[in-house]
Amino acid sequence: MKKKILISPIILFFLILLVFFYLLIIDRNPSELPSVLINKKVPTFEAKLLLENKTFKSPGEFENETTIVNFFATWCKPCRDEHPYLKKLSDERGLKIIGINYKDDSKRAIKWLKKLGNPYSYVLIDPNARLGIDWGVYGLPETFIVNSSHVIKYRLVGPITKKNYGAFVLKVKEVER
Amino acid sequence: MQKILLAILVYLMSSQIVAINCYSVEPDEFLQNPEKELRARNISKNIRCLVCQNQSIDESSAPLAKDLRILIRKKIEHGNSDDEIYNFLAERYGDFILLNPPFKISTFFLWILPFVFIVIGIFVIFLHNNKSKKLDYNK
Repeated sequence: MKKKILISPIILFFLILLVFFYLLIIDRNPSELPSVLINKKVPTFEAKLLLENKTFKSPGEFENETTIVNFFATWCKPCRDEHPYLKKLSDERGLKIIGINYKDDSKRAIKWLKKLGNPYSYVLIDPNARLGIDWGVYGLPETFIVNSSHVIKYRLVGPITKKNYGAFVLKVKEVER
Repeated sequence: MQKILLAILVYLMSSQIVAINCYSVEPDEFLQNPEKELRARNISKNIRCLVCQNQSIDESSAPLAKDLRILIRKKIEHGNSDDEIYNFLAERYGDFILLNPPFKISTFFLWILPFVFIVIGIFVIFLHNNKSKKLDYNK
């Protein structure tokens, strides 16, 4: 009986080791954090538009349709790689995309959009990262899917790529349902 | 041999002290009021930098850490309390941003397990002692 008790810490140790080992081998990216904003309403904010001399008010100006919110910047290389897929989402699926130009030079951003095309219905500027903090952004690009009642349903950290485009479209369809 | 080991130990400990004293706060971020600045520093030490995840924003030189440090100072100037600032950040980035996790149902095991292990450890040592005492008597 006593021997069994003495063995128990060793068994416990191996159980813990097993848990660590499991976390090591499963396909997981520890730098990808879950968003606490999922299933919450979009934050309330006001921001200036890049291409017009107007302010955008949230949540008032979110319409009653599924909307994509995309944080991007011209200094962010993955954002450039992602751009064609955002165009595809807007051209082929007619999705409304709101772009948030994060800590960027406005002149450069305008040039960038002229050159690569503009998939965004609105482009808001976020010079001091205040909007980014409201949305819990910590690395560009980040993309959110907002449903028709202005609730955030999904967040993607990192670019939309050839690899995950299909999965992203599925997520959009799921939110649209 | 012992002296060499001691020297290595002292060296390791001193480098640790140097590491503790290394901050990333830039002079232009400082608040004029030293009391408020101290509060900002203390809050920053408890906020995780989400870019370099095992550093606090006080130590990290990532741009996001700087933005958060400035935001915290703005909130302090605005008259927000420390708790309000922690809540503001946790609402946006989750409890993960707090280096000192709150005691909640989801963190129950995190807080309670060390004590469980202490009890198990004491129990094992106790049993072991008892056993060896008995052996002594048998001699």
